Amino acid sequence: MIFNDVICRTAETGSIAPDKNEIAARLGVPRGYQNNAIDRCLEELQHSAVYKYAYARLPLRLQDGICDLDFVKVRSRDLYANLSKGAGCREIVVMAVTLGAGVDRLLARCATQGQSKHFIMDALSSAAAEVLCDYAQSCICASECCHPRYSPGYGDLSIELQAPLLERLNAGRLLGITLNGAFLMSPVKSVTAIIGLE
Amino acid sequence: MGILELINKRRVYFDGAMGTVLQSMGLKAGAYPELWNLTRPDDIVRVHCSYLEAGSDIITANTFGANPLRFENWQEVIEAGIGCARRAVGSRRDKFVAYDIGPCGRLLAPLGELEPEKAIELFAAGVRTAEQSGADLIIIETMNDSMETKAAVLAAKENCSLPVFVANVYDESGTLMTGADPQAMVAMLEGLGVNAIGVNCSLGPDKIAGVIGEYIKYSSLPVIAMPNAGLPEIKDGKSIFGMEAEEFAGSMEELACKGVSILGGCCGTTPEYIKKTVAHTASLPYSAPLRKQRTVISSYTHALEIGSEPVIIGERINPTGKKKLKEALRSGDTDYILGEAIAQGEAGAHALDVNVGLPEIDEPAVLEHCVRAIQAVSDLPLQLDTSDPAALARAMRIYNGKPLINSVNGKEQSMREVFPLVKKYGGVTVALTLDENGIPDSAEGRCLIAQRIIETARSYGIDKQDIIVDPLAMAVSSDSASAAVTLETVKMLHQAGIRTSLGVSNISFGLPQRDVINTVFYANALACGLDCAIMNPFSKGMMSVYYAFRALNGMDRAFADYIAFAQGNTFDSGSVSRASAAIAGANAESLKDAVIKGLKDAAIRITKEQLGSREPLDIINSDIIPALNAVGEAFESKRAFLPQLLMSADAASAAVETAKERMPAVSAESGKEVILATVRGDVHDIGKNIVKVLLESYGFAVHDLGKDVPPETVLECALNTGCRVVGLSALMTTTVPAMEETIRLLKSKIPGVITVVGGAVLNQEYADMIGADYYCRDAMDTVRLAQRIYGEDAL
Repeated sequence: MIFNDVICRTAETGSIAPDKNEIAARLGVPRGYQNNAIDRCLEELQHSAVYKYAYARLPLRLQDGICDLDFVKVRSRDLYANLSKGAGCREIVVMAVTLGAGVDRLLARCATQGQSKHFIMDALSSAAAEVLCDYAQSCICASECCHPRYSPGYGDLSIELQAPLLERLNAGRLLGITLNGAFLMSPVKSVTAIIGLE
Repeated sequence: MGILELINKRRVYFDGAMGTVLQSMGLKAGAYPELWNLTRPDDIVRVHCSYLEAGSDIITANTFGANPLRFENWQEVIEAGIGCARRAVGSRRDKFVAYDIGPCGRLLAPLGELEPEKAIELFAAGVRTAEQSGADLIIIETMNDSMETKAAVLAAKENCSLPVFVANVYDESGTLMTGADPQAMVAMLEGLGVNAIGVNCSLGPDKIAGVIGEYIKYSSLPVIAMPNAGLPEIKDGKSIFGMEAEEFAGSMEELACKGVSILGGCCGTTPEYIKKTVAHTASLPYSAPLRKQRTVISSYTHALEIGSEPVIIGERINPTGKKKLKEALRSGDTDYILGEAIAQGEAGAHALDVNVGLPEIDEPAVLEHCVRAIQAVSDLPLQLDTSDPAALARAMRIYNGKPLINSVNGKEQSMREVFPLVKKYGGVTVALTLDENGIPDSAEGRCLIAQRIIETARSYGIDKQDIIVDPLAMAVSSDSASAAVTLETVKMLHQAGIRTSLGVSNISFGLPQRDVINTVFYANALACGLDCAIMNPFSKGMMSVYYAFRALNGMDRAFADYIAFAQGNTFDSGSVSRASAAIAGANAESLKDAVIKGLKDAAIRITKEQLGSREPLDIINSDIIPALNAVGEAFESKRAFLPQLLMSADAASAAVETAKERMPAVSAESGKEVILATVRGDVHDIGKNIVKVLLESYGFAVHDLGKDVPPETVLECALNTGCRVVGLSALMTTTVPAMEETIRLLKSKIPGVITVVGGAVLNQEYADMIGADYYCRDAMDTVRLAQRIYGEDAL
């Protein structure tokens, strides 16, 4: 495959600080909740994580309920609605982000060190992946009119879209992302998304 | 002249990118270049020819992604791909066709789900087709995972007789995506017996110079460099490889001067790049790589050299004399073993001995399972310790790196069983100085056996530096001369340049205060030149010797390690987790307090103190369970939160474990059992694990089947254990059908089975729909339900 329209970037670790409120929501604690264990886990996470993303800008055609994403045609009511809101999108950004395999190993390690730590680390790394998505989006298309990010598995958008999407982004080579038989990604803390641009 | 003879004589050139050139001929973004082998073969031949004209000695067939996971007609695609390359080469004998193997697109276990054996099969099919179609060599390239690289190499070695070249991909951090550094890859690939190794794709030739330098420094094999045409730059929303051919060739010249034997290009390079590279480098003086006389083992992240500094091999994963470990092995409790692995690493071990030999277990299966599980959580190299060749073979096959092998000895049969495996999979072997006549009484006798083992190894093609001799520390209590003979042997071997290892703790067998004897013996052995000690890294005495020895012998710059050791207190606690100790920063005054505050170490300490004057059951029922109930109730009324509940459960479980050690062998509350599994296809096990820890802390025995569990495995467990309560979890809607299937299977085979489901995507309605008996919204809910099922309504 040829991927010369795919751009891959690594964010500086310092630029990805998981949002406190996002962390609180994922841990199921009230905002402002303080706990030393959480801070320690955050330090460990920063040590293990890499923050990489890859994306491509592609033309979009919406017709008769079908979203033509250029690399694949998708029938999804919900994605169609997302992309045709407002003035409608003409273009999309397809992106994938990952915290890397080191976080998978960190989580496996935490699982043997007690469930509390595992649970906290899992929540923190999910929050970090979300922040990485925000960061990537801000670098890619901050000044444009973006529709809300939409991912395979949301609404009626099939999770099977992961396969062609990752292939299109050369995500195996650039980010080390692979799929299992149930279309779940390794490294576990990886996210794919489609962002409509008006 | 074959390709291998050619590399011995002169620098050899690969081609550059295929995709980049096809793209200029109209291949669309997102299309598969391999399909052009069938649809536009003449164009493919033309690209090959242009590289041959540019000076390439080896052209790479257009088969990078042609595997059965990607193409139904993979065989046809490979045949056509090799066919195109052969057509381009024609009758020339000095040009070679490489069958190209790229990553298969799935991640291998234990990190991913693809079984290594499946991956080997997948690659093997292509290898056989390629050899039949006329390939001259195999190039395994663009691999960013060490385990997948190993699978591809095994497939190639087992299914053809062609030379095997391997090129991996490194990023800016200088490691593969899954963590291995160059030295680790060199160790593993040399062990596997490939013919050339190096780097492709990755970055530009200037930016990979560091990684290439490591290869040159450590590799005894010819080194490959096939970088991209620089770093991609963004122009008009496209990513362009910006380095011009002349600049590329200039950087390649620098790599050639450093000692790279095989040059080529990857993304963004064209025949022009290769032509210029040849022009820059063909007349440079060339010498084939030198043999590096190093003794090296590796894990999936790093290599460990033996011989420069003392190496500590943690001895704790060995059931001899360890009741808890025996129990863990019999019951399949991997967590206990993983805890030991992590704790030994934290205590300072450099490698871990893994011995699971118990008469009543299936050692090959258990050793393989443990090695995989340990390699998912610990990055230390492992010493595979078994006397069963079948177990050794299975463990070596899936070991991610180059292992230590414990052991071979001077008996003919032992060498006949072990050395072929070492030759095939790679490894450093510990050789015991005993043979058919037993253990010689003298140092000379032991050295003679060592010599014979080394010579026999050589006849199998195994180098001297891949043998470490263990001159056997025998109990000094039964033979007062034994320590002196062992030390003398260590000294003699050391002087002969042979690496040594000792199971240090054996020396004190049968004596009181064993640690004192071990410590002094270890100090003496280090002074005699001992390289590796299999020992207990929790022994403060022996670790003191280790740090002091390094400090006294100029191995510890500015005494940094010694000072850190002397000021640290890593030995006060053998506990696995230190994180819980920091929680809330508070001190616990009572056991209840410790559990409520989630202070694991404090909970263990107070339980131990209390055991002096109270019955274990009393402690559990009067303190631990009420404290846990208090947190559970606070959680249910939203006065406490999940992290707190879990910390308390961790503390309670640890306290219960501690108390149980004083209880009779019968399990505390027998009959209260639950099976837990995350269903097939789903790898999210956080929720299931939370349920597990809470159930355990409330005294339930949990059969945890892990994640991605097939329905048949759940059924088998229910049948084998007789447990009738099965909890299933799923996080993804896509895996709920697997949950339904599991329930259906259980219900059809076991009347009266009780199924309980939970997970993010489930609710009562969904649970009813798939035929589950109960739905639980969270872990406390599950505990309450389990208590109701077992008739101890706590509400």
